Amino acid sequence: MSKKNDILRSAITLFADRGFQDASMTEVARMGGVSGATVFYHFKSKETLFLTALETVKDGIIEEFDAYLDQHEFASGIDLVEGIISFYLYLAGSMEEWFLLLHSHYPYKLALVNKECRSHLEKIYNSLVDIFERAVALGRKDGSILADDTRKTALVIFSMVDGVVRFKIYNLYDTGALYMDLINSCRKILKYKT
Amino acid sequence: MSVITLFSGNFCKDKEIEAALVAKTGCRLITEDEIVAKAAALSNISQGKIKEAFFEKTSIFNKFTHEKERSIACMRLAVAEMLAQDNLIVTGFPAHLIPKYISHVLRVCSIAELKYRYEEAEASGINQKEALRLIKENDKNAAAWVESLAGNKDPWDNTLYDIVIPMGKTSVDEAVALVVEKAQSPAVAYSDASALAVADFLLAARVETALSKEGHNVVVTSTAGNVTLTINKNVLMLKRLEEDLTAIAKKVEGVKTVTTEIGKGFYQTDIYRKFDFETPSKVLLVDDEREFVQTLSERLLMREMSSAVAYDGESALNIVDEDEPDVMILDLKMPGIDGIEVLRKVKASKPGIEVIILTGHGSEADKKVCMELGAFAYLHKPVDIDLLSKTLKLANEKIKQQGV
Repeated sequence: MSKKNDILRSAITLFADRGFQDASMTEVARMGGVSGATVFYHFKSKETLFLTALETVKDGIIEEFDAYLDQHEFASGIDLVEGIISFYLYLAGSMEEWFLLLHSHYPYKLALVNKECRSHLEKIYNSLVDIFERAVALGRKDGSILADDTRKTALVIFSMVDGVVRFKIYNLYDTGALYMDLINSCRKILKYKT
Repeated sequence: MSVITLFSGNFCKDKEIEAALVAKTGCRLITEDEIVAKAAALSNISQGKIKEAFFEKTSIFNKFTHEKERSIACMRLAVAEMLAQDNLIVTGFPAHLIPKYISHVLRVCSIAELKYRYEEAEASGINQKEALRLIKENDKNAAAWVESLAGNKDPWDNTLYDIVIPMGKTSVDEAVALVVEKAQSPAVAYSDASALAVADFLLAARVETALSKEGHNVVVTSTAGNVTLTINKNVLMLKRLEEDLTAIAKKVEGVKTVTTEIGKGFYQTDIYRKFDFETPSKVLLVDDEREFVQTLSERLLMREMSSAVAYDGESALNIVDEDEPDVMILDLKMPGIDGIEVLRKVKASKPGIEVIILTGHGSEADKKVCMELGAFAYLHKPVDIDLLSKTLKLANEKIKQQGV
């Protein structure tokens, strides 16, 4: 099993770095310290390997978030939103290759013609937006959040946070400088009733 | 008595027909402006903005604002509310908002040849250049409008109407007499079933308006309170969207159940085929047999080739001037400028365009002339679509080689 995991780890890194077209199975094998035959023994084709890599990213993100939410207490909905934002940015920094893969164009192209790919992506985004949504709903209940529409507000907050992750991944700007402002902007949005 | 809709080209005596119909039937006239005003009141969009929905050109911001879709949804609701009454005459663009399944509607179109419309325009003191501009603009907008609502590229196509009146051959009195007679027919009589259809239409329009106010744009149908929402956009977070749409629709009074489904537009074809450079990207079909051309155009589309259509030599040459196609598929026998003449002119001005002749009654002598003039191929109708596709691909390869 560990061989398989080594292959997947190197596959995620390579796919994230090169994109699907330019990542070669030979290189995946070399990076994972196994033979080319071993890679093909575990994964029948490059596409299968890619889909499994994406699935690994999906499971990883969901597990990480579950663990974080299990281990922390939050005083109110708005604090929970802040915690989630911080953790999302932390995760994007510590597991950069996951997010490089998620922010590359290829999986979305593949999703148009491949059900499995589509389902992985949908699950990733659904889980993430659900986490934000639950936090917004909680805040509306305890009075710490006044925004009207839970679902749309959660989507807007998520797209802001995810946009900052993209800034970071592609080195568009020093996102460390934006961190406090992102939190404050989200707090403002959530405290405002239209 | 039933509901009469009247959709006309400009300069086709539409105002006279309208007035005479109202006088003769005593029906209430519902104009485009009235619907626009009602829709503006329903939506808080200005009347001017609502009217922009009738123009072929869409604001570049529409992708984000969905203002056009919202305008149309509110106009549809305005029309649906009007249909609670009977004995109406609905004129102008909103006529096409009434769905086909409402049976007590007599759909009338009045249209005429260009020559007639020129003369009409001139009689009202408009010079020929201006008349040409106005007619072109009207027809372009009408075509875009009808295509967006009925999927038909030809706004005067007789499958869209119960009666198409050729004004060049019909007087206003004759036209009105014909419409009044047909409106009495049992086929368009008001019935319990069509009353239910109106109720369905109204509920669907209410749901659509509620959705469009939230920024959503989906196709809504309803049968006795059971509403179906069709999503035509590829959205990755589909379940979430379906839940959101359902929640909004369920709040509308009179909705019993909500079902969501995926429409044709949701699944894009294989992305690699879309960018398949082996097929010509711009094909112009020139043939006066409308039905044949439309079928052919659709079949080419299934093979990922987009095609423009011209029904006569003159408009084909205009298209060639304005928007250079890569390949032309050309019929020889057409009224006005014939195919051989079109071929001669195209090859003289834009030799890079490859022309495939597709004819039902060409002779060997014609073939010789065409090939000498530089036609790429000479095919006979009925044509095998695979052979035509292959020929198109070959033509494209030739273009590519010359481009290198």
